[in-house]
Amino acid sequence: MPSFESVHTQTGESTWARSRSGIGGRLRALRMAWIDNSRYFPLMLLMPVLIFFLLWNIIPLLWMVGMSFYNYSLVTGQPPRFIGLGNFVDLYNSFAVWGALGKTFVFVFFSVGIETALGMLLGILFWGSTRLPGRRLALTLLFSPMVLTPAATGTFYRLIYEPTFGVANYLTILIFGAKIDFLGDKFWAMPAVLLVDIWMWTPFMILITLAALGSVPRAELEAAEVDRLPWPQRFRYVVLPHAKFILMLGIVLRTIDSFKVMDLIYQLTRGGPGNTTEVVGITLFRKAFEGFTMGWSSALAVITLLVAIAFTSIFLYILNLRQRGGAN
Amino acid sequence: MRTAWRQRLYHLVLWLVSIIFFLPVVWIIMAAFKTKNDLLAIPPKLVFTPTVANFTGLLARHDFFSSLRNSFLISTSAVVVAIMVSFLAAYCFSRFKPRGTDFLMFLLLTIRMVPAAASVVPIFLMYTAFGWKDNFWGVMLFYAMFSIPFSVWILKGFIDGVSPRFDETGLVNGGSRLHVLFRVVLPQVRPGLIAAFIFNLIFVWNEFLFNFIIGGRRTTMIPVTLVTGSLAQGGVDWTFVAALATVYLVPPFLAIYFFQKYLLVGMTFGTVRGEV
Repeated sequence: MPSFESVHTQTGESTWARSRSGIGGRLRALRMAWIDNSRYFPLMLLMPVLIFFLLWNIIPLLWMVGMSFYNYSLVTGQPPRFIGLGNFVDLYNSFAVWGALGKTFVFVFFSVGIETALGMLLGILFWGSTRLPGRRLALTLLFSPMVLTPAATGTFYRLIYEPTFGVANYLTILIFGAKIDFLGDKFWAMPAVLLVDIWMWTPFMILITLAALGSVPRAELEAAEVDRLPWPQRFRYVVLPHAKFILMLGIVLRTIDSFKVMDLIYQLTRGGPGNTTEVVGITLFRKAFEGFTMGWSSALAVITLLVAIAFTSIFLYILNLRQRGGAN
Repeated sequence: MRTAWRQRLYHLVLWLVSIIFFLPVVWIIMAAFKTKNDLLAIPPKLVFTPTVANFTGLLARHDFFSSLRNSFLISTSAVVVAIMVSFLAAYCFSRFKPRGTDFLMFLLLTIRMVPAAASVVPIFLMYTAFGWKDNFWGVMLFYAMFSIPFSVWILKGFIDGVSPRFDETGLVNGGSRLHVLFRVVLPQVRPGLIAAFIFNLIFVWNEFLFNFIIGGRRTTMIPVTLVTGSLAQGGVDWTFVAALATVYLVPPFLAIYFFQKYLLVGMTFGTVRGEV
């Protein structure tokens, strides 16, 4: 690195400028008074992000908040009509919205719960895997579900769940002797969707658990080993105090993501059959882009935005807790 | 001797778990090499004579090359723009800490936490009003914004790890501010840049909803082609869907094979560091 050796050798500005050439020299020629002498340098650095922010966030946000006070449907072709808080009152009284919220809650509860439990178990199983032959490939296979798009995994599973020739039904007939139309049956649709989500995101909790276990200082583990501390207590008193922050961050991230779920379910069932898998995201999407009631959907979007802000605050709270706690 | 066997058994179990998680993907890859009759056979066929007809069929489709090209072009250019913008902002947040830094970082995080179905409504309204729909720049710059929050978070974490003394030394010795920015700080945060690049690429490569709503014929990317292909009227063309899905999943798979050590930082917004 040219910049560091020259720190010791150069004596004055002029020799420094003359003695070096190449890319470093050319870049130093980029010394521009309006950048180097400006008091507004921080603002210049920030400018591009602020422009992006204004165009793609502030304007749409204001648009959305404004629109939520109007009755505006793209179908009727009539201009937006101001109705004040009408949309929100309508939301509050809407059976569909409360139903969707309930289903979202069920979805979040079961997916995050099962993923956390399973992920922690498997994460502990993978704890001592450093000498696994072909570890990199094995972990790639293990972690690949979570980097594939829900749009694609939804497609995979529609093929697998397919009632006539899908492999899932082949197995159910083989084992239970009965055919189950997983995605078309009112009872089975939700478990089937949950199963796909669990398949996708358990690897994430495994990853988080591995990171959490990795944050436990080796010395303390060795001390516990020397003391022959029984395993339950070793987890309780040695591992957990260090691991809990990362685990909590992981769980909150999972909660947020599973609250956001939309394209997976859209691709699998489109919220059906009936509305048994219609979570908030699906309701929002259908009202906006199948029903074209923009005012009403904006109001619902404002509500979900508030929920997202609440979640983010919780996430940051834990993050700060961790930094203040000094757990690396 | 006994421990060696236990070790081997343990490793076998780990491999089995990994393979079980990968099985559904294997099933699709197998489907991509089956003929239509093999694919629809009851009971499902495990042994079959592989065919590449589905892939040659893919090449003949008019929407395959265009969506592949769009996917590559839009995701790379969006991520490059996002990382340049985010690097400058992250440097500013890290070094100058202007008033409102915490608030801006909070807002950036919130953007990523909002359900996509909620933010797509106002974006749709705005894009129709401005006439930006199905425009390469409109879609690409949207994805740049989509990638910025994550990049700023991850890069700020990395720049915080570079001591401000490097900057001071550079400035005192007559380097310009740009010199410090690009020749002193930038090389030291290379892992952050790589992680931000790879993971934003994966996120944009995977994005479906916005592309579905604000894209059009000229800006369709692979996930949208997959979904529209699998929702086709009058029966789904499963061989086409399986073949396209197989092509689609190669880049993410390679990415996590070669950049596995960035996976953790990539999936947790840069808030959790360390190797797995």
